[in-house]
Amino acid sequence: MTAPELTREGRVVAALGRRALSVQFRRAQLLMPTFVLPLMLLAIIASGTSAGQGLRGFPDVSSYLAFVVPGTIVQGALLAGLTSGTALAGDIEGGFFDRLLAAPVHRTSLVLGRLAGTVGLAMLQSLFFLVVAFVFGARYPGGPLAVLATVGLAALTAAGIGGIASAIALRTGSLSLLQSIFPFVFVLLFTAPAFFPRELLSPVLRDLSAYNPLTYVVEAIRSLLQGDAALGDPWLGLLAASVLALLTTVLATVALKERLRTT
Amino acid sequence: MTVADASSTAVSVDGLVREFGSGTGTVRAIDGLDLEVRAGEIYGFLGPNGAGKTTLVRILTTLLRPTSGTALVAGHDVVREADAVRRSIGVALQEAAIDPLMTGRELLRMQGALHGLRGPAARERATDLLDRVGLAVAGDRRVGGYSGGMRRRLDLALALVHRPAVLFLDEPTTGLDPTSRSALWREVRRLNDEGTTLFLTTQYLEEAEQLADRVGIIAGGSLVAEGTPAELKARVGEPGLHVELADPADQDRAREALADLGRLEPADAAAPARLVLRTTAGNAAIAPVIRALDVEGVEVETVEVQSQTLDDVFAAVTGSLLEGAAAA
Repeated sequence: MTAPELTREGRVVAALGRRALSVQFRRAQLLMPTFVLPLMLLAIIASGTSAGQGLRGFPDVSSYLAFVVPGTIVQGALLAGLTSGTALAGDIEGGFFDRLLAAPVHRTSLVLGRLAGTVGLAMLQSLFFLVVAFVFGARYPGGPLAVLATVGLAALTAAGIGGIASAIALRTGSLSLLQSIFPFVFVLLFTAPAFFPRELLSPVLRDLSAYNPLTYVVEAIRSLLQGDAALGDPWLGLLAASVLALLTTVLATVALKERLRTT
Repeated sequence: MTVADASSTAVSVDGLVREFGSGTGTVRAIDGLDLEVRAGEIYGFLGPNGAGKTTLVRILTTLLRPTSGTALVAGHDVVREADAVRRSIGVALQEAAIDPLMTGRELLRMQGALHGLRGPAARERATDLLDRVGLAVAGDRRVGGYSGGMRRRLDLALALVHRPAVLFLDEPTTGLDPTSRSALWREVRRLNDEGTTLFLTTQYLEEAEQLADRVGIIAGGSLVAEGTPAELKARVGEPGLHVELADPADQDRAREALADLGRLEPADAAAPARLVLRTTAGNAAIAPVIRALDVEGVEVETVEVQSQTLDDVFAAVTGSLLEGAAAA
């Protein structure tokens, strides 16, 4: 692809991303799970299980709220990614996706455009969660750069989950199937040390969490925000989120090509 | 390509086949279709539900791959040169698939971006098109609040963003009230006057008759008849001139007087005062008929031309006369 073609495709991705993001904020039923639900869970966990901070082996952090907010950020990223799939399935069911397919744009741009909206949503979400938690007492000793890196990691994670959800949408074109996947988000979340340190998880859960890429993202964000390298490895988190995003974007692109070949 | 070249072929389909499913469950939606649409014409593609109209449109607009055969649109192969086809065509599919949460203007600007328009050019084009389809006032409202007619007009505007040479309209007026339908017809004619080739699928015979330069009738995935509306109607018979005589006793004298003006149908015992003359002249035969009868001193009560309609053609080629019509 030549440089002008790349620029043109970039503009297409930006236009589709803008559309995906703006529509998100016009649909109350999509804002509820992406912004309100993670905050509700944060409030319940922060108030209900804060005593866990006193357990032996619990890391030394400024507050329990500050410890669990990375879990909320990753939960938000998961839900943002999932809504990317549901929105795409809605476009397919409603016929809007055909309008995009009939345009002279690279097929990959259609997938990336949708994911660009997801990335934007995850960035706004994570900033929102960080601000709300800050208002309620969470502090981020890692500083502004850590906050920026957190937003970036959340965005990459959302793109990764969005890639899986988009691939499912493209393979099945079924909105109801995507909606039924919603509960599995929590399985992914709770098999990562989102709200408790890995060391305090049950042995089975601890073993499982080692295979969950979100484990490394949560710990990376925690480490960044708290400025404490003992809480996680930011580079490992970046690697996990990047590999996830790359693999699932390829998966979604292949799913689109397969859809075009078979339908 | 932005304006149709009148000497060229806008759509060319050769031995096109499209199958769905596999094994014993295979359904052949398009069955060896051959078709040509000339640049600058309005081609009406007529057929009942399930005849294969939408499947063909989806293949021609690169949304579906054919199983075999070839299809060229604006000179480009729909499989091997899909991007070039997409640059040349505008598409308004059935059901006006429009995101209800976006405004008309936003959709037009997004569509512009998909076709490489940006900045002031994209803004200007969106405003022009909203004006053109009568949505200037509603352009900044969300599409979810539009009526069916408004959505269809916006759909048409979206298909025109990049000034396509060939425009595909898949049942553009299905479900519209008569006023909205007339408005859309006007716009279709205007587009055609400006040089756009239109490929229009419809279930409405009147629509095909009103708009199309040529009509193709599809049934069971094959083209069973094609021609101008007049040619198609001529295939199922010449127009009939119905003459009602003042006195049934003049029947024989009248038949003698009209014998050279066309083919007279046998007298009907149930209507002894009526004569039916079949002639290709249609309305132009009225004056000679009246003159001929006047010369013979035959008094006439009424004269009426009953033309064949596309309904007759359609019934003939898709109904009981399907076999004979297909052979024709």
